[in-house]
Formats: sequence, structure tokens, C-alpha cells
Amino acid sequence: MTLVEKVCVLGAGSTKYGKLHESIADIMTQASVSAIESAGIGPKDIKASYISNVFGVADKQVHLGPVLMSRLGIPDKPSLTIESACGSGSVSFREAFANVAAGFYDCLVVTGVEKVTHTGTEWTTTYFAYCSDFFYEGQAGASFPGLFASMARAYLTEFDATEEDFARVAVKNHDNGLLNPKAHMQKKITIDDVMNSPVVASPLKLYDCCPFSDGASSVILCSEKFAKDNGGDYIEVIGSGRGGSPAALQGREHLTTIPSTKIAAEAAYKMAGLTAKDIDFAEVHDCFTVAEIVDTEDLGFFEKGKGVVAVREGRTKLNSDISINPSGGLKSKGHPIGATGVGQVVEVFDQLTGNAGQRTVKDAKIGLTHNFGATGASCAVHVFQSV
Amino acid sequence: MSVEEQLIQHAKQGKLLTHKCTDCGYLHLSTAYYCLKCGSKGFEDTILDGTGEIATYTIITVAPAGFEKYTPYAFVVLQLDDTHLRISGFMPEIATPADLSVGTRAKITGFDDRGIIIEKQ
Repeated sequence: MTLVEKVCVLGAGSTKYGKLHESIADIMTQASVSAIESAGIGPKDIKASYISNVFGVADKQVHLGPVLMSRLGIPDKPSLTIESACGSGSVSFREAFANVAAGFYDCLVVTGVEKVTHTGTEWTTTYFAYCSDFFYEGQAGASFPGLFASMARAYLTEFDATEEDFARVAVKNHDNGLLNPKAHMQKKITIDDVMNSPVVASPLKLYDCCPFSDGASSVILCSEKFAKDNGGDYIEVIGSGRGGSPAALQGREHLTTIPSTKIAAEAAYKMAGLTAKDIDFAEVHDCFTVAEIVDTEDLGFFEKGKGVVAVREGRTKLNSDISINPSGGLKSKGHPIGATGVGQVVEVFDQLTGNAGQRTVKDAKIGLTHNFGATGASCAVHVFQSV
Repeated sequence: MSVEEQLIQHAKQGKLLTHKCTDCGYLHLSTAYYCLKCGSKGFEDTILDGTGEIATYTIITVAPAGFEKYTPYAFVVLQLDDTHLRISGFMPEIATPADLSVGTRAKITGFDDRGIIIEKQ
């Protein structure tokens, strides 16, 4: 594959993640405007938009693209809304990347958004289960915590791991989230807090689960020439990979591996000419504590079954061997599902342009984002480098 | 009758309808339209007893709509006997991890508003 253009991220912005009272249209526009201002460009520079969202219907607004473009004063520009469950943001980013790399557009806005907290826990538990292979899973009462709990049970059975080990992931990510003013859950927690929180789907407890969040994130993606001409800080996208897995857990060869992560990572590393050892920090899809452990193995940071040892030894903490989820991750920063994959890119941009404040990963040059849909049925991995 | 409806009819009889590729012999759940291994479209029906061992499970206490009245219950993944195939389902009357363990013998026993029903043997 030959890329016609090198692709760069020129600007990035997010709303706070959490329970937001503004409309979905309002928050996606706020995030987009902050990305435009961060890039130092004007809306007329934008040639098209890619929007990621899953449950716009919950806030009475689908067909989000034209609404965003109208509010930005560029209603004549094309837009596309992409749904790929919790992986919508990274998949949308990938499609935007491909369009810039192919030379179709020199400057795009990629915006992810979700607004669901007003619907309540039963609505979100019910509708999120529609992202499973419903005939086999959701129809039999599987919730999303339940599906990841099934992976957690398999991990506990197969490897030398404990529920306390899972809790360590939550404690670490809450520690990181305390340093992120935009995080949903800004609260220090202990292993005991996790262990004593109510069971949602055994063996996972409330604090093993990310929150349902509202929020929007946006980045400006452009060609290297556009970035240089503009003159502001930018980072380069050096690897992009996607992959798939059987939609239902039952169809996976191993219940503790997500095939799409391995496929996407291999493609992204190959494009970047790097290996897992070259990555300084990663924003990974920790929708549940066990997921972060599985992710770090599937991404090649640790051998299968050893991700849990790394967590136990503190090797994934901020500024340790490899900083995993310096933003706080989905667990603490929050998980507005359509925005999450774009929000990860916002964190990498902030880290590599010196805007990550107290949670800065020291001397970082290479960052990775990993975001998947449902139990990893769809996945995208991207690798970025500072310029 | 659609493939899902056929699978449901067999599950109601305590059986599992599967599809065996007529070209390479690979076995699939009956919702597959093309062979995972060779891409062929020809299948012959193979009816399994729906027995096996619990590969993994969870006990759900925060349930989706429609399942509140069954809470707590187990969602299980069953490793079927004599094949690589697994099937997911709803297992009633499981309240704590002491009620179920990985490796427990179980069987498909029906299908209703809780999806495919799997019970301990």
C-alpha cells in the first residue's frame, strides 16, 4: 500500500466526560470548536467530517454530520456518521486517515460523541447489549459486564490471577484520572474499595467497570503539507491497522484473547516499521479491568498470561516500564462510547505536544491508541510519533 | 424457515442444529452461511445432543430489561462434546459462584424468552 500523503493530527479537544446536561448536538460542536481552535485553523479549512456515535437516538438526534457542519458554518461540506459500537471513534478516525492518506482531502474534522446518562442504568445496560451478537448473547440475558465477566472467569481459570489483580487496574487508572481535569471519575480508590463494591456480573464488581459517560472529542486530521503550512504543533500518524473477531465470544479460539486486537496491532506496527517494544505509552480499551490486561498481552507488551503480573508489579503505572492509560482510561476518564476512540487520540496529541500537565509521560516520542467495539469484534490500532 | 428459526426449533427439543461443510467437513453453528475454513456454501445438517462442559460463565446481578425477574442468573458458554464448537445460553437458578464451576456438565434444554436455555446435567 502506498500512502500519497503523510497524515498528521493538527489539533485536538474534548468536553469534560461525565454527566453532561447539554444536548448531543451542543457537546459535539463544543469539542469540534476546541479542536479547530487548538489547530489554529478556521472552519472553512475543513473539507469534510467523520462523526462517530452509537446512540444518538437516545438524545433525539441522528444524522449528526449535517447538524455539526451547519453549526460550524460549513453546511455545504460532506459528512458521514459511523457506528462500530464502542470502537466507533477509532474506526471513524481510520476512515478519515485513509481519505487524507489517499489525497482526497487535505483537512478533516473527526468528532466522536455520546449522550446517554440521562436514560438511566437499565436503558444503557439493555441497549448496550444490542452491540453483542444478540441472537446468541443479548437474547440469553448477557449484559456487557456479563460478557467481559465471562472473559474474566476464563482468565482466572487459565492463568495465575486473582480478583485483587483486576482491582489493581482500577486503582492505577483512577490514580491517573485524578491528574486529568476532564476525567469523569476523579476519585482515588483502593483495592478494598473495588473488592467491596457491589457485584455487577461475577467476578466483576462495580469498580471493575467503566462508567456510562456523556462526552465528545474531536481532532483535526490533515496532510503533512497542510500541517507545515499552518505552522502549529502537530503529530504524525505513522501506523493504522484494523481487525475483526467472531462477533460472539463462543466463536473465539481462545476466550482470553481478542483476535481483532492482534490483527490490528500487527498491521499498525508493520505500517509504522515498529514493534511493541518501541511504544512509550498506550491508551488501551479498558472498558473493564480484565480488558486492559488482555489488551496489553494482545498488543504484544507482555506475553499471554503475564499482563496480570505486570499490573501486580506496577509496571504499567504512569512513568514505569510502559505507561498504560495515562489519561485514566475508559475506567476513570470515562466511556462516552462514540467519543472514546477519538478521545484516545486527543490524549496522545496532548502527551506528544507537551500539554498533558501532571500526567505527562516523560520523554515520550511514540504513542499508541487501541479501541474496540463490543467484546472486540471490531478493533482499530493507531501509532503516532512526535514531530 | 430461517436458519435462526430452525436452530430455535431444535433447541426447543433439547438439540443443537449445526452445519457441516460438504467440501471440507468443518462444523459450524447453523447460522453460518459460508464455511469459515474454505468459503464453500454447501452444508449438511448435523444434529448434536447439545451436551458439554461449562467453558466460562458469569452470574448477572444487574440485568438488561426483561431479565430483572430472573436475577440472579448465569450466562454460560458451553464447550460442546466431541467438537470445537461452543454455544452460549441462559442458565437458571444460579445465585453464587458456589452454584457453578468451569467444567460442570451441562446441556441445552430449551428456548424461550431467555434465549437458548442450558441446564446442569
